Amino acid sequence: MSYDLFLGCVIPARLPYLEASARKVFEKLGIILKDVDGFSCCPDPTGIELIDHKTWLALGARNLSLCNNNGGVISFCSGCVETLKGVNYFINKDITVKKEVNKYLQKVGKVYEGNTAVKHFAEVLYENLDKVKETVEKPLEGFKVAVHYGCHYLRPSEIIEWDDPFEPVTVDEIVEALGAESVDYDLKLECCGNPLDKSDKDLSLQMIDNKLDAIQKAGANCVVVVCPACYQQYEFNQRELNKKNGTEYNLPIFYLSELVALAFGFKPQELGLNFHRVRPNALFENVGFKV
Amino acid sequence: MSVINFEFRNEVLKHNASLSYCYQCSTCSGGCPVALITEGKYNPRKIIEEAILGLQEKLVNEQDPNPWLCSTCQKCVELCPQKVELTEIFTLIKNQCFEKGKFPEAFSAQGQAVLEFGIAIPYSKAIISRREKLGLPSINTAPVEEIQTLLKETKFDKNITRGGD
Amino acid sequence: MDIPSKSALIIGGGIAGIQAALDLADMGIQVNMVEKKPCIGGRMAQLDKTFPTNDCSICILAPKLSECYRHHNITLYSYSEVQKVEGSAGNFSAEILKRARFIKEDACINCGLCAEKCPMRVDDEFDRELRKRRAVYMYYLQGVPSVMTIDKEKCLWFTKNACRICEKTCERDAIDFDQQDETIKINNIGSIIVATGYNLIEDINKEVLKNYGYGKFRNVLTALEFERLESASGPQGGHIKRFSDNETPKKIAFLQCIGSRSDRVEKYCSSICCMYTTKEAMIAYEHDNELENYVFYIDMRAGGKGFQSFLKRGENEYNIKYIKSKIAQITIDEKENPIIVYENLDTGEVKQIQVDLVVLATCIVPPQGIDKLAEVLGIELNDYHFIKTPPFISVETSKNGIFTCGCVHEPMDIPRSVAEASGAAARAAEVIRGG
Repeated sequence: MSYDLFLGCVIPARLPYLEASARKVFEKLGIILKDVDGFSCCPDPTGIELIDHKTWLALGARNLSLCNNNGGVISFCSGCVETLKGVNYFINKDITVKKEVNKYLQKVGKVYEGNTAVKHFAEVLYENLDKVKETVEKPLEGFKVAVHYGCHYLRPSEIIEWDDPFEPVTVDEIVEALGAESVDYDLKLECCGNPLDKSDKDLSLQMIDNKLDAIQKAGANCVVVVCPACYQQYEFNQRELNKKNGTEYNLPIFYLSELVALAFGFKPQELGLNFHRVRPNALFENVGFKV
Repeated sequence: MSVINFEFRNEVLKHNASLSYCYQCSTCSGGCPVALITEGKYNPRKIIEEAILGLQEKLVNEQDPNPWLCSTCQKCVELCPQKVELTEIFTLIKNQCFEKGKFPEAFSAQGQAVLEFGIAIPYSKAIISRREKLGLPSINTAPVEEIQTLLKETKFDKNITRGGD
Repeated sequence: MDIPSKSALIIGGGIAGIQAALDLADMGIQVNMVEKKPCIGGRMAQLDKTFPTNDCSICILAPKLSECYRHHNITLYSYSEVQKVEGSAGNFSAEILKRARFIKEDACINCGLCAEKCPMRVDDEFDRELRKRRAVYMYYLQGVPSVMTIDKEKCLWFTKNACRICEKTCERDAIDFDQQDETIKINNIGSIIVATGYNLIEDINKEVLKNYGYGKFRNVLTALEFERLESASGPQGGHIKRFSDNETPKKIAFLQCIGSRSDRVEKYCSSICCMYTTKEAMIAYEHDNELENYVFYIDMRAGGKGFQSFLKRGENEYNIKYIKSKIAQITIDEKENPIIVYENLDTGEVKQIQVDLVVLATCIVPPQGIDKLAEVLGIELNDYHFIKTPPFISVETSKNGIFTCGCVHEPMDIPRSVAEASGAAARAAEVIRGG
């Protein structure tokens, strides 16, 4: 099995340790991820798309035109996945959109017909769940994980076409396959608030505050995410919230690939877990996870 | 006083006919997480109502309610009993705001980075060395001239260099 | 008056079928009535009250049930289904499967001794599974025919070859484990009336109720469940209590348009919910004058005689607050109190309200088994799988000689079902007398 790999911007250029864990996991599963030269920003469905839809379409289609793998293209980022799936959706829904986009692409000598299949890395993990289970060397016993699906992994369901938009199961099942417990919590399907950071920092913080509060109340000892925007929102704001509101958030935030990698027996050091702002060491000690 | 702009209304409808299905039931505003924490100051139903009425002035210039407060969580889209594609309609409105230079500064920064580097976050020296330490390959991103040619075609370059609020 | 040689076949023994049967029988026409359930009465028997008069539902219905039972021109086939229909207008024949109830109908006096002794506890369908009945049971208290039925699927004799306590208990030797299903052929049927009523969305699609936590949150009920709780013969004897803590609710939210008027579920208006909700809220208030009722709606549809003033009375005399806002989702707090987020459309404010109980106004859907019945009868269904009827003559189906009335062709209230039943009966009589 092989896929073209679309890295996007946030993970490789800001959070490369997330990329490291993901690459290791797929290598261990024997799934080939092929690096492709020449990708631009996806572009951001919560940024560029909102200011200029046609630019978003043109750049997205250009990226997809560079993929030529039969398995399609995979990304570690929910935003990139939404963009790439979305571009396919709009191009295939309306022939005039396809024509307009290709008119732009023509200027740079490219064509895109709308046929590249797009997958989120969690989709591929879920499709290989049995193999994931078999590969677990160190079950994550004692990990009480609050699964944060994030919005763009699920919605709009007409574009994403993966899992239930309000009662998703895939990430929970992956987490449980690793031997961890998925803890249900209030507000589980709600937005982390990251996209609001660009327009209203206070509201953005309020949203993540509500989520963290609900997660803490539910007794989870860590959070798992599948999107770098959500990751940053959870990771970077706990200290700020504690300072601002006197809360005592100290929840390790894992990328799904990191949890899988830990269960596969990779060492925290080689995964770059030391780059996390909320260090998971105390959690490992508390649950007796030998690293 | 609010002025009805029929052209604006028709443009939205042409772009997304689902607007006309809305029967103002308020499922969207009741399900919206931002509407809840702002107690309705941000209100997706109201944006749709103003779009149906053709109140371009209110939406694009006054930005009341402010479409930039949508967190793009897409809950409204999933919940709407009439399958109105709310976020797509919001995108069209925000695109108009962009063309008029009325958008939050942070969007400008991201847009300028894409125009300058082809990617939203350029690779810093520190990151490049961190990538090496983690055993990650170096990345060959898009040729900047190619991206700039495209962005010129879509007129993104002009609109973004004018900057936001 | 000539006695016509041809009879009528009425499928469905709810209020519509009953009214049509009585009309025809009073005209001197022989009527065969087929009811799938052990007793006739249909949905109306499940209701506590009827709008807009708030009359006791069973009190209006019961005399009609017994009239139907003892009318010399009506033959009642309960616990039966129509399996085959042949012929054309003026000359149909039908095969009816009469299922064995393992009770001798002429011997059973509904004394209830058998049910008292039966050791099996089973979900009571009539009470929307809110309480248990026994494997030998009376379908409902005032049911007609007033005889017991043995539930073959649940009875220990049929499932495990054991027990037969009922047989020993019965003082009238009314239990008959050897009874067999019978196929009865009826010839010379002049016309047919289809009145098989409706189901509710929760019967066929629980998915839609997911966002409202139905099935997960104990204090979220459907309207028909709530109706049973209000009923004096229902599972709580008419004293409404929350299932989570047995407390009397002081604040009830009624949510409208659950499943209806939606491009995602059923596109049509369910027609009766605005009114039945108001009725249920009024009755709840009559039980407890401290009650606060909230009705969350898209549009209040009160298009019937006396309906608008019914809503006004609800507002003025029964402490019902009507709030124009469709509810998207429900959550609960640590005491299992439902929490509702809604927009006040007058002010644009988005607020939260905590209530004690939520009642979902779930919509009418075509009755289960309608596809098969339509095939048997050779009649067409519309896009929603209700029976297709022409726009101006609502009692006609696509086939000559077959008529319809009541909710099986579109959602409607009781008065209209009854009026249609009389219309269908008149049209059926025309065919019978003409033939």
